[in-house]
Amino acid sequence: MASRPNKPRPIRRPVISKEGGEFEPCWDILRGAMIDIHNKNASELSFENLYRASYKITLRKKGHLLYEKVKAFEEAWFQNNVLPSIHELISSSLTSIAMLSMPALSLHERREMGEKFLRAIRSRWEDHNTSMNMIADILMYLERSHTTETKQPSIYATTIGLFRDHILKYGLATGAEDMDGHLIVFDIINAVVLDLINMERDGDIVNRNLLRKVTSMLEELYETDEEHENQKLYLTVFEPRFLEASRLFYRAQCEKLLRESDAGAWLRHTQRRLREEQERCQTSLSILTVDNITKVVEEEMISAKLDEFLAMEGSGIRAMIDNDRIEDLSILYQLISRVDKSKSVLKTALQTRVMELGLEIEETLKNTDFSNPAAAAGAAGAGADADADETAEAAGDKAKSQPLSGPAQQTAAAIKWVDDVLQLKAKFDNLLTTCFDGDLVIESWITKSFRDFVNMFPRNAEYASLFIDDCLKRGLKGKSDEDVEVVLQKVIVLLRYLSDRDLFERYYQKHLAKRLLRSGSELHIEKELVRRMKIEMGNHFTTKFEGMFKDMELSKDLSTNYRDHIRNLGDVDTKTTDLNIQVLTTNSWPPEIMGRSALQDGSARAEVIFPPAIKRLQDSFYEFYLQDRRNRKLTWAASTGSADIKCFFPKISGKDTGPLSKDRRYELNVSTYGMVVLLLFNDLADNESMTFEEIQAKTNIPAGDLSKTLASLSLVPKCRVLAKEPATKTVKSTDRFSFNTQFVSKTIKIKAPVSNSSSKVERDDERKETERKNDQTRAHVVDAAIVRVMKQRKELSHTDLTTQVISQLAARFKPEISLIKRRIEDLLAREYLERIEGDLAAYRYLA
Amino acid sequence: MAFNGNSGNGAPSEYITLISSDDFEFTVLREAALISKTISRTLSNPMMEARTGVCHFPEIRGVVLEKVVEYFHYWYKHRDQLDVPDMPIPVELCLELLMAADYLGMDSKPASRDAF
Repeated sequence: MASRPNKPRPIRRPVISKEGGEFEPCWDILRGAMIDIHNKNASELSFENLYRASYKITLRKKGHLLYEKVKAFEEAWFQNNVLPSIHELISSSLTSIAMLSMPALSLHERREMGEKFLRAIRSRWEDHNTSMNMIADILMYLERSHTTETKQPSIYATTIGLFRDHILKYGLATGAEDMDGHLIVFDIINAVVLDLINMERDGDIVNRNLLRKVTSMLEELYETDEEHENQKLYLTVFEPRFLEASRLFYRAQCEKLLRESDAGAWLRHTQRRLREEQERCQTSLSILTVDNITKVVEEEMISAKLDEFLAMEGSGIRAMIDNDRIEDLSILYQLISRVDKSKSVLKTALQTRVMELGLEIEETLKNTDFSNPAAAAGAAGAGADADADETAEAAGDKAKSQPLSGPAQQTAAAIKWVDDVLQLKAKFDNLLTTCFDGDLVIESWITKSFRDFVNMFPRNAEYASLFIDDCLKRGLKGKSDEDVEVVLQKVIVLLRYLSDRDLFERYYQKHLAKRLLRSGSELHIEKELVRRMKIEMGNHFTTKFEGMFKDMELSKDLSTNYRDHIRNLGDVDTKTTDLNIQVLTTNSWPPEIMGRSALQDGSARAEVIFPPAIKRLQDSFYEFYLQDRRNRKLTWAASTGSADIKCFFPKISGKDTGPLSKDRRYELNVSTYGMVVLLLFNDLADNESMTFEEIQAKTNIPAGDLSKTLASLSLVPKCRVLAKEPATKTVKSTDRFSFNTQFVSKTIKIKAPVSNSSSKVERDDERKETERKNDQTRAHVVDAAIVRVMKQRKELSHTDLTTQVISQLAARFKPEISLIKRRIEDLLAREYLERIEGDLAAYRYLA
Repeated sequence: MAFNGNSGNGAPSEYITLISSDDFEFTVLREAALISKTISRTLSNPMMEARTGVCHFPEIRGVVLEKVVEYFHYWYKHRDQLDVPDMPIPVELCLELLMAADYLGMDSKPASRDAF
């Protein structure tokens, strides 16, 4: 270093020392240094010295000269020192790789050669890059002032670009820089890289680090020295070729899979490939490519043959759904979500499958023979998962009993149907949460399909209600709150699917009435269920049910009050009958229960003749009832009540041992009719008997009910308190009945079977009746809807009116167009509406 | 040279030495000195300075370099702060300081080295 004399000066002039300030000496220093740098011999150079040289040249406005000189130097260096060695590398076999004709080399050799070539290119690149960095640093001052002013590309960009121009674009065939029609080094690099990538895709292990180095080289080089961000060689040249090669590769893969494999393998393969390609972008290529390559794989592996794979027998989407191939479906969902946001393929497949399975349930139901209790129970048991124990128990019970009676078979069928539907629903719910990510859109498709097939089944409303009836009477006793919750949720799910809600309401009302009157279920669960129905379907749907609950509560108070009232009267008589009364509001309860069905047939209501003791009780209660209320009428519905009777069987003389030798007392629980009949025998002397007709005349009980009552009292062994003559298995109107003095029972309390206690599927004629009634009601409801709409709109076209009415009624049922039309005509005839003149398809409301 | 930029085990020392035209030596915190782009590049290239940790500046007088070093530390001390006190600059050194700043590439905030 030249050390300077340290003499004080007032102010120093600009610091350009005379010596070394000329261009040539400075350039000589720099040129020497550049050679050293290229030869990796820079460690003895002084950076400051070189920097100062370029600093001086630049200060003397010779920057452009320096710039050109450096450029020329580097070009010359390339020609003389780098290219020859590169040329040596390029063997003929590499050329053939570039030609994409398979060389007669083994895979291993090809890989070795390719990697060797890439390594050579990489090391040339690294050398060049390092040198250029150092040179650019030395020339930092030039770059800061000169190139910024002149807008020339930076010295680094220029010199690094030499690599592109002189090596990558170096023509092979001629050795000249003739770009057209000749292979250039860059082509070979691309071909080798792609070849290596394909090897890796086929399972070979290749040098990822090397690939990454080469691609990052391409990322650092630009088409021009201006270095536009989107003009990286990687993006302009390599990536399109890579994507094209990948497309071909995956197209072939996909076709091979389609030929040789199944959908499950295809799913896994595709998923793996997607992951691999992303990984490859990170380890071997550039993350810039992730999206593009993903798209290629998606297009070729998923979109291209999606339908073919899904249709595959035994492994397609049908088999996946049927066999709960959770993993397959999850992958499928993910893959389809990638390529199609609307997932319409999945939609079609799912909906079709739900419909098919739904119709299958119906088909199975038709083909199952429910007369064989074991089969029926087995079938039901197979469906019930939560109620497995319960069903098994029931199956045990049924197995002991004789083949099921007709209605019971039907009931079993109903329960099986609902069970199957719910099970199917559970299956798809499971798929939805585990495979489809709880996708709301998919959920709505599934719901729609369920609704469709459930509503294609004509007895859906009745079966649903029967299922609930069965659950509440049998299934839920003594179960924990959680179990109850599960059942309630299932029930609500099912109801959601029903479109004929008015029909369901009718059945449910009937079944609920029976449950309430016979205390067959737990009230708080009933209430909870109705509360949920209210949330689900609105107020009007549950008003009747709530009315029923209210009646039950009021009746309970009423009974207590009446009992207190009697006690307060003072005439406490042990012989008085304890009355537990249920006062039912006519509108809330089903007509069958209220004994009104007979009325509708037009025949006079049969008033049951109650025994005097009971009659007194009734009168006394009525009197009490009217104390607080005016103008109420009570009708005694004997068909639904029950009674506890204390019976006394005197000991039979002549018997010294056994139960018959003692007096026997039993408490018998019978229907109200049974009580009326039994009390008749109180007045009868021993050994006397009554015919069926006599009994009917004395009680006025309808023949059908009487027959059932007598059957339960004279045929069922455990409560045969009446002896029948002749002792056949059926009750005929000519039979004679007498008091069975020899009756013995092991238990004190006996419950006589009540024949109509369990709710059954209706017989076809009953069903027709129900539908007829329902249609009547519907007619009124439609009338009301039409009038409501017309009152508001005054004038409306036929189509608009129909649409409005349908939307108004959607919550209750789906009216048929023909029904609406009929009702409109009816209203026209009754002059609620008139046609607008000249326009046949429009109506006006007449106030 | 008494002071060696590299400590024994090869890790670069925390300090570097700057030498002025009149042979004044300044020992500076390496990190502080790196705000000069020139010094930063000097030290990052595998040349003599990087090896020894010593930079000669034959164009800069000791009294100027002293002020530069003072600025390095001044900047380093306040690098993350707002409302820093001004650093006193003697008027007579202004021109030389400006030229030194230009030479040392301190015309802008030190950016991370360009992504070469």
